[in-house]
Amino acid sequence: MIEIVVHGRGGRGGVTLAKLIAGMYFRRGSYVQAFGVYGAERSGAPVQAYVRVDTEEITAHLPITEPDHIVVIDPSLITAAVASGLRAGGWLVLNSPLEPAAFAQTFPGCCVATLDANAIASANGLGSPALPIVNTTMLGAAARLFGLHVADVEGALDDVGLKGGNPAAARAAYDSVLTAAMPGKVVRVAPQLPPRSLGFLDDGVGGLPTIHTGQWASRRPHSRELAAVCSEACPAGNDVRGFLQAAARGDYDAALSLILETSPFPGICGRVCPAPCMAGCNRAQLDEAVNVREVERAVAGRGRLPEPGKPRRAERVAVVGSGPAGLSAAYHLGRLGYGVTVFEADPESGGLLRRGIPAYRLPRDILDREVDFVLRHGVDIETGHPVDRAELARLRRRYAAVFVATGLQGTPSLELGGACNGAVLQGLDFLERACRGEASVAGDSLVVVGGGNTAMDAARTALRLGARDVRVVYRRTRDEMPAIAEEVDEALEEGVELRELEAPVRICEAATGPTLVCRRMRLGKPDGSGRRRPVPVEGDEALVELPCDRLLLALGQSPDVSVLPKGAEIRGCRIAGEKEDAPLFVGGDLATGEGTVAAAVGSGRLAAARIHALLDGSETEEPQPHELAGPDVIALDRFPKTAQHKSAMLAVDERRRTFLEVRRGFVDEEGEDATAAEAARCLSCGACNECETCVAYCPEGVVCPAGGHRYLFDYEYCKGCGLCAAQCPRGVIVMEDCAEEVCT
Amino acid sequence: MSRAYVTGNHAAGHALAAAGEANRRARGCCGGAYPITPQTEIIEYLMAHAFARGSVVPVESEHSAMGVCIGAALAGARAFTASSANGLLYMMENVFAAGYYRLPVVMVVSNRTLGPPWNIWADQGDSLALRDAPWLQFYCDSHQDLVDTILVAFRIAEDLRVLLPAIVAQDGFLLSHTQMVVDLPEQELVDGYLPPLDLPHHLDFGRPRMYGGMTWPRDTQRQRADIQAAMDRVPEVLDEALDDFERSFGRRPVSAFSAEQTGDADIVVVACNTLAETAREVVRARRAAGERVGLVRVKLFRPFLRQALVDAVGPASRVAVLDRNHSPGSGGIFWNEIATSLRSRPDVVLQDYIVGLGGSDVAPAVIDGIIRDVGTRDTAADPIFITEAVA
Repeated sequence: MIEIVVHGRGGRGGVTLAKLIAGMYFRRGSYVQAFGVYGAERSGAPVQAYVRVDTEEITAHLPITEPDHIVVIDPSLITAAVASGLRAGGWLVLNSPLEPAAFAQTFPGCCVATLDANAIASANGLGSPALPIVNTTMLGAAARLFGLHVADVEGALDDVGLKGGNPAAARAAYDSVLTAAMPGKVVRVAPQLPPRSLGFLDDGVGGLPTIHTGQWASRRPHSRELAAVCSEACPAGNDVRGFLQAAARGDYDAALSLILETSPFPGICGRVCPAPCMAGCNRAQLDEAVNVREVERAVAGRGRLPEPGKPRRAERVAVVGSGPAGLSAAYHLGRLGYGVTVFEADPESGGLLRRGIPAYRLPRDILDREVDFVLRHGVDIETGHPVDRAELARLRRRYAAVFVATGLQGTPSLELGGACNGAVLQGLDFLERACRGEASVAGDSLVVVGGGNTAMDAARTALRLGARDVRVVYRRTRDEMPAIAEEVDEALEEGVELRELEAPVRICEAATGPTLVCRRMRLGKPDGSGRRRPVPVEGDEALVELPCDRLLLALGQSPDVSVLPKGAEIRGCRIAGEKEDAPLFVGGDLATGEGTVAAAVGSGRLAAARIHALLDGSETEEPQPHELAGPDVIALDRFPKTAQHKSAMLAVDERRRTFLEVRRGFVDEEGEDATAAEAARCLSCGACNECETCVAYCPEGVVCPAGGHRYLFDYEYCKGCGLCAAQCPRGVIVMEDCAEEVCT
Repeated sequence: MSRAYVTGNHAAGHALAAAGEANRRARGCCGGAYPITPQTEIIEYLMAHAFARGSVVPVESEHSAMGVCIGAALAGARAFTASSANGLLYMMENVFAAGYYRLPVVMVVSNRTLGPPWNIWADQGDSLALRDAPWLQFYCDSHQDLVDTILVAFRIAEDLRVLLPAIVAQDGFLLSHTQMVVDLPEQELVDGYLPPLDLPHHLDFGRPRMYGGMTWPRDTQRQRADIQAAMDRVPEVLDEALDDFERSFGRRPVSAFSAEQTGDADIVVVACNTLAETAREVVRARRAAGERVGLVRVKLFRPFLRQALVDAVGPASRVAVLDRNHSPGSGGIFWNEIATSLRSRPDVVLQDYIVGLGGSDVAPAVIDGIIRDVGTRDTAADPIFITEAVA
């Protein structure tokens, strides 16, 4: 008879390994027996399984005390006691990354075999990332040592339907197990007996001994917080995940406060932001992205604005330009206690927010309210106060620091020949005039050249001012347009015609009036921006004539650096310059050219932090690279699919006639707060939101709520089963190896 | 026959399924399913089996599982279930009902200690708590014995001379979870061995009647007497069933008792289940050392065939009973039965040893010690609890 003992941990496949070992011999015609020791405290407990192999029928049913071989499948069980009773010449097969010689002290006189079964099993995808299951790997090693063949292993696995990584891991183990005979004489060690139960009445009812089951763990769960894709994508630096979670609880004050930590413009961004947060939202892989932009807008409308503090520092800072970057810098400096003066060339504040974004996208009361909120932070504004190079030099002598965010001023023109120049207008100029009520295009036929938001805004504004028809000419296709996709949709709904793959060549005066001549284009290889480059189609037949009354050019803008000192060198957001003058910072589109309100807000906030660090002599916290909670760590299949809540829309015919806001925001259904419901679609990727899945799944009851999105693991009793980590739907819990103490 | 390498539970599941399947030519089969360690794998096996005519019904408790069996059996189906320990206690009301209704249900019990304290290991206290239920009780010592006895149990239970339900017990874990080599009978042979069930009192729309209504005391007295008479007919039916089994399958399961080397023994050890297997090793070793020791294994506990026991024990003057069970205030339950049986042998020193409760291992050395102990006794003492200290 051959007798084999397997030492493992409950729930990790030790009994199955014993059955598989016996299965190999059964296939060879032997009588076999395999059984495990079953206990009340199964998962993770040290358990044994036994194998008997004989040529005659087996009648013994007692555990094996003097085995011919011993297999240890958990590295944490490798102690001298594990070899108790091993017969001379028998194999001691250990799951260990160490070579057999490492165990010379522990098992003198024994024949030791080792293999790194954890690594082999993991490489073959066995078990979970939290806990590899190594039994079939150990089977391969055992077969090799017991003189069996790979075919026996494969057959035994196949008999019970174990395929894929199991035979592969077993074969790898068969080939890689290392063996050596340890020098010295065998030392007999008494087996470790389980602790004795107490008498039933000795300690009341129950009588089980206290077992510190944490000692059984080879891995332990840890909580972590990963960066959310949405928050990382936000150019303004908003804690998107954080404010969504607060909104999901219906706590709009908290949600608003969280946004106001980084941006003074939730009502503005909640309307005009292209929402890169939504583009990266993990939820999009399940059903649809969380409608972050609309939630932000709703939070801006429903949360109560906190009362700003008063300036508490002697230094004053000058900000040039009252666009989103300038106001953001002023706001954050004000929050830091500085007095701030904003200089604006225009008669009104807001910069591009007011001049460039039509009211149907950004109602003026919203703009005014948020600008006013900035000004309440100890911020003065001087409108109608242009700043040129000389004035900037003066400001640098009067203020402790100066921040310049004059945005983009230069507008590129197109060489279209000399004809009909009166019919050509810059899109932004058109929008500005429209804003002042000075644009008249009623009955006109318009062509807008460009594919960005300004082109869409100009086209849609023209429609609202009564244009007969509006065509947008773009040299690439819709897919390459930089405009927000929804804005393009809305423009098309309202009747704007989009002409793709056409580029203006010249404008000429025909009998019927001005005519724009365009050339058909096709898409070539990607250019530096990653978009496919438009390539002209040759030949006269590729020319298209577009009669029109007016031509609006929306071709982007360029920074005007003439305000900066001669030879200014922009280093990050700082301008290197004379030491005696106040430090000079730049930001917004002037420095970055990012072209979104959110980016401008972020740029202003960063500049404010730098200015504060300089004036205060403190360190700025450099943003640390975060590990992202990507879709790979989110268990998307745990979440039910739900439809995205959409903003209500103004009826199309009304949109064509008025400047009323097109997007009306969420509409609450009966009994449902649509904002909270949409925010609750946020999966809280990478951050605990107290869903308590871990608590529910922990078989030991060792996951304890500690308040404030924190859970403590009671390592004294945590067996390291990994269920909490495997079940955490948002990638918060990970298993980490306990401190290694292989040889004792 | 197909030689298989399976656990005791899967072997039992196979036998129950084959028996149920064999009744497809009649009114099919039905199982009541509720899990409890250590018999859960039986229920899992049955749930996974696709019956040609019949089904296994998962329910919310053991009580209902037996309820399913009662209803199905009354409808004429071959009915079966499995249970253990406290689940069996919860089922108890319906266990008695099935017997009093004279329904030939077969239930496999994977013996497990009754709690509290909680204990999942082998101890016969659970099925022996049904000592006074109108059920046959078989105790098996190997996978093969278990498979064969399940088939024999259906055969006897359904015999019109008996018409009583039967428990077939195995040691939890020691058999239930141990994977061993066993011959699993093929369906064709089981079909031949188990005739279609024709329950004389099955539900019949053409013949409406009432079951289990209120009766006068004298009717109950008669019903109990009928059950006793049915129990008394078990030996002849058992013999026939085993004869037929041997013809069909080529092997003969143990009958009520098996006796080993008792013909000239001074000392006889009585044991059952896997305990008997360990005792057999010890007895053989003592024989080899020249001592006249024998072994009786108890397989049929209900009915308890007293004369057969006396015959099995033979001329020995000292009998040591190993009881893996305990009736508080009395002693071992097997010992009680054996004491009653040996009334005709006042010369015998009959000593009870209570061992292995709660599933503790009974090593050969313990049984060795017991044999030495009984050999020194001139009169019997009260039942002796073998604790670790004594061993």
